[in-house]
Amino acid sequence: MSATATSDAVLLQGIAKRFPGVIANHDVDITIRSGTVHALIGENGAGKSTLMKILYGVQKPDEGTITVDGQTVTFGSPTDAIARGIGMVFQHFMLADNLTVLENVVLGAEKLHGIGEKARSAVEQISTTYGFGLDPDALVEDLGVGDRQRVEILKVLYRGARIIILDEPTAVLVPQEVESLFDNLRVLKAEGHTILFISHKLDEVLDIADDITVMRRGTTVGEAKPDSITKHELAELMVGSELPSPETEESTVTDEVQLSLENVTVADARGRRLCAEVTFTIHRGEVLGIAGVEGNGQAELVETIIGMRKVATGRIRLGSEDMTAWGTRARREAGIGYIPEDRQRHGLLLDSPLWENRILGHQTQPPSVKGPWIDRAGAGSDTERIVKEYDVRTPSIETVARALSGGNQQKLIVGREMSGQPVLLIASHPTRGVDVGAQAAIWGYIKDARRDGLAVLLISADLDELIGLSDRIEVILRGRLVGEFDPQSVTPQDLGAAMTGANEATA
Amino acid sequence: MNALRRLGASLLAPVIAVVVAMIITSLVISLSGSSAGDFWSVIFSRPVDRAIVNIVNQTSLIYISALAAAIGFRMNLFNIGVEGQYTLASYAAATLAGAALFPGLLNVVLPLLLAVLVGAIWAGIAGLLKVTRGVSEVISTIMLNAIAITLVGYLLNKYGVHVGNGVRSTVIPESSRLDGWTFFEASDGPVWTLATLALLLGVGFWVLLNKTRFGFDLRATGMSQSAAVASGVNVNKMVVVSMLLSGAIAGLIWMPSFFGAAHSYGTAFQAGLGFTGIAVALLGRNQPVGIIFGAVLFAFLNEQSNRLTLETDISVNVVQITQGTIVLAVVVAYEVVRRYRTKLEQRTVAEELAGQRQPAPSERATT
Amino acid sequence: MRRSTKIAAVLAAAILALAGCAKEETTDSSDSGGAGLDCDSASGDGPKVGLAYDVGGQGDNSFNDAAAAGMAKAVDELGATCTEGEAQDDEPESAREDRLRQMADGGYNPIVAVGFAYSESVNAVAPDYPETSFAVVDGFDPDEEPNDNVAYLGFAENEGSYLVGVAAALKTETDHIGFVGGVNNDLIQKFEAGYVAGAEAVNPDITVDVKYIEESDLSGFGDPAGGKAAATGMYDNGADVVYHAAGASGSGVFDAAVDAGEGTWAIGVDSDQYLTASAEQKPHILTSMLKRVDTATFDMVSSVADGEPLTSYQTYDLAHDGVGYSTSGGFIDDITDEIDEYAEKIKSGEIKVPTAP
Repeated sequence: MSATATSDAVLLQGIAKRFPGVIANHDVDITIRSGTVHALIGENGAGKSTLMKILYGVQKPDEGTITVDGQTVTFGSPTDAIARGIGMVFQHFMLADNLTVLENVVLGAEKLHGIGEKARSAVEQISTTYGFGLDPDALVEDLGVGDRQRVEILKVLYRGARIIILDEPTAVLVPQEVESLFDNLRVLKAEGHTILFISHKLDEVLDIADDITVMRRGTTVGEAKPDSITKHELAELMVGSELPSPETEESTVTDEVQLSLENVTVADARGRRLCAEVTFTIHRGEVLGIAGVEGNGQAELVETIIGMRKVATGRIRLGSEDMTAWGTRARREAGIGYIPEDRQRHGLLLDSPLWENRILGHQTQPPSVKGPWIDRAGAGSDTERIVKEYDVRTPSIETVARALSGGNQQKLIVGREMSGQPVLLIASHPTRGVDVGAQAAIWGYIKDARRDGLAVLLISADLDELIGLSDRIEVILRGRLVGEFDPQSVTPQDLGAAMTGANEATA
Repeated sequence: MNALRRLGASLLAPVIAVVVAMIITSLVISLSGSSAGDFWSVIFSRPVDRAIVNIVNQTSLIYISALAAAIGFRMNLFNIGVEGQYTLASYAAATLAGAALFPGLLNVVLPLLLAVLVGAIWAGIAGLLKVTRGVSEVISTIMLNAIAITLVGYLLNKYGVHVGNGVRSTVIPESSRLDGWTFFEASDGPVWTLATLALLLGVGFWVLLNKTRFGFDLRATGMSQSAAVASGVNVNKMVVVSMLLSGAIAGLIWMPSFFGAAHSYGTAFQAGLGFTGIAVALLGRNQPVGIIFGAVLFAFLNEQSNRLTLETDISVNVVQITQGTIVLAVVVAYEVVRRYRTKLEQRTVAEELAGQRQPAPSERATT
Repeated sequence: MRRSTKIAAVLAAAILALAGCAKEETTDSSDSGGAGLDCDSASGDGPKVGLAYDVGGQGDNSFNDAAAAGMAKAVDELGATCTEGEAQDDEPESAREDRLRQMADGGYNPIVAVGFAYSESVNAVAPDYPETSFAVVDGFDPDEEPNDNVAYLGFAENEGSYLVGVAAALKTETDHIGFVGGVNNDLIQKFEAGYVAGAEAVNPDITVDVKYIEESDLSGFGDPAGGKAAATGMYDNGADVVYHAAGASGSGVFDAAVDAGEGTWAIGVDSDQYLTASAEQKPHILTSMLKRVDTATFDMVSSVADGEPLTSYQTYDLAHDGVGYSTSGGFIDDITDEIDEYAEKIKSGEIKVPTAP
């Protein structure tokens, strides 16, 4: 290890943060040595994000002290944190697509080096020093995900950060990109920067970190060195129990085609092709997984199958019926269930009670309605059923959806979309952002339904989930299906290569 | 208990708003050198019998107007064109009724239907423009307001009855008049028969929105268009239908007054109700019951303000300051209360669930 | 999306509310000394007068102020006392009736309603108060049943307009003049008819541009920008004198004359607008058509004081000094003789001035 540090960069002691009804953090103690990569791991909802927001000045702790480079500090805002040399790269990039790299970096920090040649040379120098290889004049919209992330890191460095917080930086990357990110991080470390790396991917953590802190239920539950702990031990520490696995059982695939797409092409308003000549079939009892780096047309493909987007050319059949021209409602009435990628935007009425959310998407089907009338009693009792069967934690079905945690919201949606015996389920990132218990439960529901003959189209960024649940995996790249894989034999690395086009001769 | 707390929370916002508006109004009056005490003693004095009748009548007009605006708001459509819709509809209905082509009650019912139709068509234009050409309904309805008002002026000048310096449509026959019920002296005037329209429309609005599939689709679209689309709602169709509905209700706004008192379209036509309705819809949170309170409040303030210049040196227009600040304050207050309620609800959920959950492990493991 | 709609709605509502207040600014009693009527300090034993203004009230520099001036004179000369009521924008018919009833109930007699918008409400209220005398400026009886306690104070605006039309035709160097009306209704058309007739009496070949700001919306009387746009078009088109009958929109006409530069004129209406114009506008105000609402108001009060209240239609024409023209500024001193010749012919009946274009 090249750690040259003799002191601690950051010391968090006894941090506690309470929100109404929720204890986000309590008794958090972390010591981050200067010049190291420190990994903070934990399941979704373990309190990592809140803790990082506290360190970055977005939230104020209710208790505890923050010490940076030996001095106790209180941050009123991120500005104070930046002044102390702390920078943060968020999971969702905050870049202006239509500006250049240079402009994005300088935006908001014009006071440092102006906006002219001085700024340009500063940007170029940082890029060279750390091996980022960024062209200051490239438009951000032309950059890939990995490069965008480097722009975000560059922004932070440009503002003088010595301590860099990376919030799940690998969530949006494929394995090859992860490797090059890690190369960059090693250079940063060598140059004396301290990196706080948030993740729940254990392989990566064991690969890059010098120290590991594990969080669970809002507090730190353990510390470890990567060379003295196994992945399994780390996982158990993180989850607090035996890790669930999405392993699928024997195949239930039938030879009855439930959904077929023939040469489906989808274009946006300007005629740009979002999906091109997509052809595939899903049989009853089959789970087809779609792997792809986000933004390669999988969201559009899903929206086309549910009828929210129009097909430019091609045909979509449900069973033997051509449903290319059907509206969303007709498709839902025909038995298509839809678990949307963004549950809050597409799946819920946040300010409505749960029983009304039960009706959403099923406005024309019993038990929610009787003719043109809403059947409140029917919707209510069916909501009670979902709450019980799917273990939705809520005081009552009159509670508004907004008040529920993400995992419980998701369970409600899954329960709803499984209602009325669907023939096809479109599941977009069905377990994103839910806790481990809910994740295992959702996997269970999908497997059960598949056994009963449900056809499932599964889109997920979690390659383990895809491999574990799918009977077949198709890889999507720039709107086209570029390869089919057998989950029994494929590795995440193979998928990653296909997802980035690394195995294309022309790439 | 919980219901009581909710009711309290929903009353909290309007109460705060009214108090804030009173403070601001008092400040404005004091700054202009008059006595705020005089103002409030006039405003809060018991309305005379005649004023009570006027308040009831005005409430019905404002209420219908607010319903028209509210149906759009519930869908996130800003139908600012209620004004033009009811102007045109009122003129059309008055002309038809004035022509007396039909006997008795039929000469009331058919003009009412015409008013509904004209209002709906005029609003429907804005709806169609929005879904076919992407024109914002705010812009198109403002334009349509100007067109409607100019058109009515032109038609009235050309085909109206000119009396003295005024011009009006033909007065409707006695048999088509629906004066209403006199509760006090004859000179205090009647509560118009068609004021009951407001009540019927209010109940209809509530049933439509809360009990029907259509209403569910409409509310869903208003709360989250993206979720509505994903649930199978055809948003374009909903936009056109709700504009038609909004305009249809708007067409009826002035009808109680027309059949009850004015009997012709002329100087007695009351302009501006379309805009009052927007403010009252906001005040009543687009809920049929809430709007009742808003409409009564506005009608009450308007009526009481009439005595200001007679009894004090304060301009009647001060009441508009009061009304304006109530609307502004209420919207701010609603947002504050909404956040408070969300927190309250989240806390309740967390509290109730804490009871079910096994105790949180607090053990610390170290390797 | 939802939030932004809400904000837009709130802003719109606020603007609507504040628009009312903005207009209010100008009617603040402190700066409206023009009419000089202060009912609170009147304490004579003459008639108790109820004065119901149209929208704008005292301080509008127009006919509300003219009525107030007549009232002030009555306070001074007849020992009258008074109370004032003021109309609001877009108020219901019931509010006007209510205002009149409150005055009648309060024992005020006579009750002078300013503006023809009160015609219907006076017609509804007067029968209930047979002992009270009512007057409606510019008013009319809307139904067939005559009221024997109501006076309709009408003016021969066409005659006054005829005279300023003569002045315009004599002063124009391009043989091209203009008329801007606030709202295209019968009343304002009377102004247009007289003006055009007067101008054509001097020069049958004269060109007269006519434009109305609004077709029926009364906002045409409170839209200086609209007045300016209309007049600017006429000046650009070659007209060099523009007469307005557009209430508060008239200030826009004056501004247009200022912008059009040297040698362009505007003609005011109702009161002598040279007196209330800005220093910049004054050199452009040729004359004003005077409509003596003050005289009519005073006459009404005076008739009640004398025990013989005016009733029915009263026409204030040239012969009764009910209309006229002003000479402030001295721009038409050279042609007053000629104008007065026409005036005499109108008084004698030799010239009949049309009332509609």
